[in-house]
Amino acid sequence: MDGLFIAGGVAVAIILYIVTVYNGLVRSKNQVESAWSQIDVQLKRRHDLIPNLVEVTKDAMDYEQETLTAVVEARAKAVSAKDGSREGAIAAEGLLSSAMGKLLAVFENYPDLKANQNIRDLTEELSSTENRIAFSRQHYNDSVNQQNVRVESFPSNIVAGSFGFRHAVYFAVDEAEKEPVKVDLR
Amino acid sequence: MESQDTNSMGMAEQVVPQQDKISQDILERGPVIERSDFVTEIRENKNASTWMSCFLILIGGGFGYAIGWSLEMFASSYVSGYDPFSGTLKHFLFSKWGIGGCITMLVTSLIWSVIVLVKGDRVLVWMVGAEYVTEENERQLHNVVAEMAIASGLPKPRVVVVEDPALNAFATGLTPENSTIGVTRGLLDTLDRDELQAVVGHEMGHVLNNDVLYATMISVQVGLIAMVADTIKLSFRSSSRTTSRVAYRASSGSGRGKGKGSAAAAIIAIVVLIAVSIIAPLSAKLVQMSISRKREFLADATAVKLTRNPKGLFDALGKISTTKNRFSNANRAIQHMFFVNPFRDFDRNASELFSTHPPLIERIDKLRGML
Repeated sequence: MDGLFIAGGVAVAIILYIVTVYNGLVRSKNQVESAWSQIDVQLKRRHDLIPNLVEVTKDAMDYEQETLTAVVEARAKAVSAKDGSREGAIAAEGLLSSAMGKLLAVFENYPDLKANQNIRDLTEELSSTENRIAFSRQHYNDSVNQQNVRVESFPSNIVAGSFGFRHAVYFAVDEAEKEPVKVDLR
Repeated sequence: MESQDTNSMGMAEQVVPQQDKISQDILERGPVIERSDFVTEIRENKNASTWMSCFLILIGGGFGYAIGWSLEMFASSYVSGYDPFSGTLKHFLFSKWGIGGCITMLVTSLIWSVIVLVKGDRVLVWMVGAEYVTEENERQLHNVVAEMAIASGLPKPRVVVVEDPALNAFATGLTPENSTIGVTRGLLDTLDRDELQAVVGHEMGHVLNNDVLYATMISVQVGLIAMVADTIKLSFRSSSRTTSRVAYRASSGSGRGKGKGSAAAAIIAIVVLIAVSIIAPLSAKLVQMSISRKREFLADATAVKLTRNPKGLFDALGKISTTKNRFSNANRAIQHMFFVNPFRDFDRNASELFSTHPPLIERIDKLRGML
C-alpha cells in the first residue's frame, strides 16, 4: 500500500515537472518571437523618423549634403528591402545604421547645429532610436539564449526534444555596423 | 524656496569631508578586485535571496511553533502533578499547539500579504511627492526609460520626477505591467545620458526581478513577527499580575497545579516565550535587510545586463558618492525602494547589518569587477 502511494507521488511529481518545463518552453519560445517583432517595431520607428530629420536639417547643413543624401538613400533601400528576404532586410538596415552613425557624428562637429533646439530634440530621438534598435536586438539574443539553455540543459532537454522545441537563431550583427559610433549631445 | 537654498548650502558644507573620504577610499582600492560578470552576479544574488527568504519563513514558522509550545507548556503547568521532564526529549519538544501556532503564523502572513498586494501600490509616488512628466518635457528621460524597457522586454513604466536636488531614483509597482520609475531632479541635472541609463536600468532591474512584490511579502512577514512579539512583550509588561502570580506559583509550588514539575514548566514556558519574542523579530529584521542588500546587488547586475555597460553605473555611483543624498520626502518605511539609501551616509560605516543598501563602495567594487 505504501509502495503504491510512493509510486503515485513520484508520478504526480514527474507530470508536474513536465508541465512546468513545457510551459516554460512555450513562454521562452513566444518571448523569442515577440522580441523579434520588437526589432521590426523599432526599425519602423527609425524609418518614420528620417523624413522628419531631413526636413529640419537640410537648410542648416547644406555643407554636408552628401551625408544626408546617403541616409535618405539607405532609408529608401531599407524600406523597399523590408518586404524581401530576411537577409536582404538585415543588410539594408546595416547600411542605414552606418549612414545614421555618420550623420550623428557630423552633428557633433557643428556646434551651431547643436545650439538649435529642434535639432537637439531630433538628435536625442535619433540616438534613442538607434539605442532602441540595439536594445531590441540584445533582448532578442537574450531571449534566444534563454530558450537555448532550456532546450539544451538536462533534464529539460528531454521534454524539449519530445515536444519538438528547437534552437532559436541569434541575431548576428553585420560587419558594417560593428564600427562603434559614439554620440554625445548634451 | 529660500529655506531650501540654505538647506542645500548646509548640506554642501557637510559633504566635503565625506567626499574626500570616499574618493580616497576608491583610490586606495587600486585596480580590479574580483572579476565577475552580470550572469554570475545575477545567479548568485538570486540564489542568496531565495535561500534567505526560506530562512525567513523558517523564522516565522519557528516563532509560531515556539509560542504554541510555550502556551501548551504553561497550560499544562496547571495540571496537578505535571512533570515536563517525565517523557523523552521528543515528547518534551513536540507540541500540538506549536504546530497550530506555526500554521497560524504562516497562513496569517500569506493572507495579510494578499490584502496588502491587492490594496495597490501608488502610495509611494504620492509619498515622495513625485510628479508625472510628459514626453515633451522630459524627452531624454522618457527615451531612456523606453530603451531600458525594450532591453528587458517589458512594457514601458510610467515616468515621474521628484523635484529635489538629491541624487536618487526609485521604482514601484507590484507587476511589471503596472510599474513606475522615478528619478530626482538632481539626478537628471548631474548625470550624463549613459549614467542616467544605468540608474534607470537598475530600477528596471527591480521591476524585472519583481522586487516590489518580494519586498512587500517579506516586510509583511517581518511585520507580523514584530507585531506578535510586541504583543507578547506588552502583555508581560502590562499585566504584572500574571507575572507575579507565576513567580509566586513557581516559588511556593502552589496554585492549581501542584508539585515542582508544574512550577518548572511555568518558568520554562515564560522564559522561552520572552526569549523567542526578543530573538525572532531581531533575526527576522536582520534577514530582511540582508535580502534587501542582495536585491540591490541583483538590480545592479541586472542594470549591467540591460545596458551592457558597467561603466555607466560605475560612473553614476561614483558621482552619487560625492553628494549627500538625504532627500526631504523620504521616510524610513520606504527607504528600501530607492537607488541609494536616502538616510545613510556612504562611507564604510554604512555596512551595518541593519542597512537596506550595501555600502556604495561595495557596489562600486562589484561593478569594477565587471568593467
